[in-house]
Parts: sequence; structure tokens; C-alpha cells
Amino acid sequence: MNLRSARARFKSTSASAALALAAAVMLVPANLLPVLSTASSGRNRSDTIFSGAVELWQQGLWVLAIIVFTASILIPFLKLLGLAWLLFSIRRGVAGNARRLTRVYAALDFIGRWSMLDVFLVAFLTGLVRFGELSTVTPRGGIVAFAAAVVLTVLATRAFDPRALWPAAPLSPA
Amino acid sequence: MRCGTLLAQGVRLGPDGALVFSVTGLVLAVPAALLPFVSAGKLGAERISLLFTGVTSLWETGMRALAVLVFLGGWLLPVLLLAALALLHASTRLGWRQFDFRTVRRAVRVLEHWAIPEVQVLAVLVALMKLGSVVVVTVGSGFWFYCAMVLSLLIAQRSFEFESADRSLSTGGSDAGFPP
Repeated sequence: MNLRSARARFKSTSASAALALAAAVMLVPANLLPVLSTASSGRNRSDTIFSGAVELWQQGLWVLAIIVFTASILIPFLKLLGLAWLLFSIRRGVAGNARRLTRVYAALDFIGRWSMLDVFLVAFLTGLVRFGELSTVTPRGGIVAFAAAVVLTVLATRAFDPRALWPAAPLSPA
Repeated sequence: MRCGTLLAQGVRLGPDGALVFSVTGLVLAVPAALLPFVSAGKLGAERISLLFTGVTSLWETGMRALAVLVFLGGWLLPVLLLAALALLHASTRLGWRQFDFRTVRRAVRVLEHWAIPEVQVLAVLVALMKLGSVVVVTVGSGFWFYCAMVLSLLIAQRSFEFESADRSLSTGGSDAGFPP
């Protein structure tokens, strides 16, 4: 591995690690703060991502609850864990696992977009459910943190160059 | 297949079919944005929502960055992606060899990651089922145009992936960004 290639690898992995770390930080308020509040016939209710999924489950909408839980909670965490695994693997030496790790990277790259489900859901509900006193949905701060976390995880995956998993592959600096 | 590994699999349309789906998607994007998307009624009150109603509501509530993100991912970037794909497929079909489309190809690779209209379709379906027990919801023609646009985009995109994989093999891998 020449010096240019080594530098490019370092740049790719360190940028990816920094973005993944920022995403992990943003996931804390994203999961703790309410993402939307509903006012219906004088009753107010605020929901976090998790309580929204639980509410769907309690309403008997199990498939929807599983979809929301998977897209909004499971995928962001899996993506960060997967990226951490790839970054640590490069640091320790890939040693024969390059093909498997490249598949992991492709999977992470594919699933990331589905985390935006909750952002679109909140946008749609905010636009549609505006019946004044009868029923109104309002977005809350948690959804901004969540959207930031999702965008950061996508950027982290994009910053990661999968060629870094193949030690023999030449890597030109960006 | 390369080195015993499947690089791409899907529907091979050829430049004609791919161009048709790209242009169709572009045409469908207009009624998708202008016609009623979903209407909801509760105790006599009715509200008709367009594709951008959610975006404007987010903007009005002060969540402007979020509004821009939803507008970009749900409509503008998919439309730009369709336009870029139409240009690439048209260049293949019409043999525009004098132009260098590498920048457009790179743009397609970037847009593919941020154009996520299929996620918006899933979000709307989840919302409709969630709201079904609370308000009376009716799906408008704008939503069906939007779904058709998304389908056209996915097919055109799939065809582009095929062509890209083929080109990658013929040029020794440089087009896909990987060393040969």
C-alpha cells in the first residue's frame, strides 16, 4: 500500500467515523424528545418515536408497528453498529473478511434510506390533520434531531469507501 | 457475473424502454404535485391535502430545514434523477457521442442516495392506516400519479444500474469507481 493510498484510506475512515459519532449523539434527543403532538377534542398527547410504535401495537396495527419500529429505531442503530464494525475491522486488519464486509456495507447503504419513514410520516400528518379544535397534529423538536441523525448516518455511509476493505486495492484521494 | 459474483440482476429494458419510463416518470410528476393527494374528513369538516401540504405546514411551524429535506427527498431530487436518467438514456438511444456525460453519471450516483420517493409512499400508507380509525380518509388521484411516478423511477433506475454494470465490465471497472 503506497502513502497516497494509505492517506486516502485514513481520510475516508476518519470522516465516516466522525459522522457516525455525530449521528449517535443526535440519536439520543431523537429518541428521548417527542416527535409530534396530537390535540384531539381537548385532549393533548405527545409521542416519541418509541411510544408512537407502541401506540400502533396497542391499536392492533401490529404490521405498522413493526414497520415503524424497524425503520425508525432498529435501522439507525443497526447502521451505526454496522459502520462501527466496518471501521474497527479496518483498524484491526480485514484478513480474509473483505467480501463479507463489503456485503455488510452494501446492506447498510441500502437500508439507510428507510429510516426517513418517520420524517415523511410526521410531515404528512402535520399537513393533513388540521381540523382546528377537533384535531390537530404538530411536529415537535425530536423529529428535527431524528432527521439530522438519519442524514448523518447516510453521510457516514457515503464517506466510507468500501475499497478500504480490500488492502490490495489502490485508493486515490478524493 | 464477474469472478463468480452476481453484479446486477433485474429487468433489462434497453435504451428505448428505459427512456420511456424516465420520460413517463417526469410527466407523472406534474399531476402528482398538482392534484389532490389525500382528503380527510372529521365531523363534517373536510381537508384536502396536496403533495406539498406537509412541506408548507412544516415551513409554517418553523421547521424549515425539515421542510426542505422532505421537499428535496420526496419530489425535487426524484424529478432531477428522472431528468438525468432521461438524458443518459436519450444520449445512448440517439448516439450523442460528442458529449461527455460523466458529470451526469456522477450526479445520478449522488441523487440515487437522496431521492427517496418510495419511502414517502410507505409513510403515506402507514399514515392512512393509522388515521383510518380516527378520520375518514380518501386517497386522491395525485397519490396514484405519485405512485406511478415512483414505479417509473425505480424501473428506469434499475435499467441504468444494468447499463452501468455492463459499462464497468467493458471499461475495466473504472466507471463503477472500483479498480479493475
